[in-house]
Amino acid sequence: MAANRDEPSKYVTLISNDGFEFVLLREATVVSPTIKAMLRDGRQWREATTGRCEFPDISGAVLEKVVEYFQYWYKNRDKLDVPDMDIPVEICLELLVAADYLGLDSKPPLPSHGA
Amino acid sequence: MNDEPTLPTLPSPRWPRESPFGVGQKRSRAAHTDTHASSSNAPSSSDAVFSSDDDPALDNYVHGRRKKRYVGTWYDQQPASSDSADSAIGDETRPGRMPLSRPRRRQFKRQLDSGVWMALDEAPTDTDENDSLDLAPAMPRLALPVPKPPRSMLSPEEETALAVVRRCVDEGREMVDLSELGLKTLSNSVVESLSNLVPIPTVMKDVAFEHKDPSIKLFLSRNPLKQFPGAIANIEHLTVLTLRATRLTELPGSIASLKNLQSLNVASNSLRYLPGELLELMKKGSALNDLQFHPNPFFQPRDHSPSGHGRAEYEMTFDVDADPQPLGNSWNGLTTSLLSRTPVQFFNSARSSLSDFSLPPLDEHLTADSRKIEHEDFWDLAVPKTIAASQSHFQASRDGTQRQRPVGATSLHELALRAAARALQPHELEFIKQGEYPIRNPDVVERAVRIHRAGGQKCCVCKRETWNPLTEWLEFREVLRTHVSTSVEDGESRTIETLVRLGNNVDECYVPFVRKGCSWACIPLKAPAPSPEVVESGDMTDSELSSASQSS
Repeated sequence: MAANRDEPSKYVTLISNDGFEFVLLREATVVSPTIKAMLRDGRQWREATTGRCEFPDISGAVLEKVVEYFQYWYKNRDKLDVPDMDIPVEICLELLVAADYLGLDSKPPLPSHGA
Repeated sequence: MNDEPTLPTLPSPRWPRESPFGVGQKRSRAAHTDTHASSSNAPSSSDAVFSSDDDPALDNYVHGRRKKRYVGTWYDQQPASSDSADSAIGDETRPGRMPLSRPRRRQFKRQLDSGVWMALDEAPTDTDENDSLDLAPAMPRLALPVPKPPRSMLSPEEETALAVVRRCVDEGREMVDLSELGLKTLSNSVVESLSNLVPIPTVMKDVAFEHKDPSIKLFLSRNPLKQFPGAIANIEHLTVLTLRATRLTELPGSIASLKNLQSLNVASNSLRYLPGELLELMKKGSALNDLQFHPNPFFQPRDHSPSGHGRAEYEMTFDVDADPQPLGNSWNGLTTSLLSRTPVQFFNSARSSLSDFSLPPLDEHLTADSRKIEHEDFWDLAVPKTIAASQSHFQASRDGTQRQRPVGATSLHELALRAAARALQPHELEFIKQGEYPIRNPDVVERAVRIHRAGGQKCCVCKRETWNPLTEWLEFREVLRTHVSTSVEDGESRTIETLVRLGNNVDECYVPFVRKGCSWACIPLKAPAPSPEVVESGDMTDSELSSASQSS
């Protein structure tokens, strides 16, 4: 991935603290300002060059749900009356912490960005 | 006994003398107690213990007699108890028998073949615990603090209140007077039992028994309550609720579920506004006909003569007249009439305001001047640039039904809080706020806890439940005492509607109601801008309010 630095990959990899890797569309991650800042071009951060973001505080089970939410958000961006995503009760508090960490909804996401 | 064939001479025992069951302590039952009974020795439970039930002497079984007891196989028998050879005599030194030794102290040790675990054991050496079952590995999760069990302790004031409530429930009294008890909080457990209250019917001769719904009257005035006890909203048959002088700062929207409420008194509190949901109880056909809400430090509009243009469009934001109820021949109650609204305040999930307009926080002390809130015309709608730029769907969302609906996914915060609130009690949710929890915005959780305590909050536009409202605005309405009567004259029904405005002066007429939306798209509908000559119609309200207006 580091080879084609001019044209960043359409996909990014998110890695949980127990080593699970999730590959998803870069556009789906812009909902999180935290991830967006990690991947921003022009900064020589390792995440930006490799397209791999590690989350030492988020476990695989939680990150899987977060990734599912990213996809859910991306798919339903412009739709009306979106059905709610199902959240298992066991990890709802961890998800709350993860959402807080990823800064979800703290800023309105700009769809034009990253597209 | 004499004709009974005697057993061969018993050999000496081959095992150490110990108690047969390892239980050396004397039984306390006197009839069976024998100091020497446990002198026989059997370390193993495999030895049978039997008695000579066929002893004819047993036919006249009297106190002090004992059955013969033998332990082990017959050929190495000796009587289990010293007196068992002749239980009536209890002779210890029978000729030809070995003198029995005094019973030794019991030794605590494991009898390996007994299968019975006795008093003292070595550390368990069983391998059972090592047998690992082939279970799926547990889900990895953050190290969360274990929620503490709720402190079930009620304050002394609440105990008093609970006693009153119990007495009312027991006696079937519908008047529940909890006023002036010094209640600072009122736990749900105290209130909940009120839902079970059933009045004792008056049974009269020749009158058929009829089930009657209770009409519970709850008086909570002059208690220093800070928060509305959410469980009150679940008392279905509450008809009178008095919360006078109770220091409440906010009424929850869940109060709208009290459909049978006839009288509500929230005077002399610290309310800044009434919940918008209360309007559901203030439309034609609803039961509420008495509402006392002055004095309260309500927000006031800065401008008292706004233009009324676009009111109808604004009202279409909510399903106000979704299901009109039949009024019958005459109906007395309360209705409201919209006067103006404030700009919309937009929040992000972290509860920081994104818009220029903001309502003063609830805990801030307000002077008469800072209570004045600016208004926004119905055809105006200020949306923060950041949101307007990101959400091109503000126009697109207007479909044929003329209702704004949220576009896109619900936030993960909201979803997670919703899942948490379904499973957890408010106090369980509350521990997230505590310091060790790695959350950056404890305010969000605190707010969710508050909403949870008060019985939930629904979005005013899309009616979904929300734990973190993202939009908020006030609307000013005047409350009108309304009397509707229908009479039929010459085959034509005539409806006479009488409206009387509540409030003594202009300030009291403007009653603020708060509206909360769950997403940035849950905002009031924007009316089309008026053509210049329509703007003049700003003072419509007074002409509408002629003491009796007629329509047929």
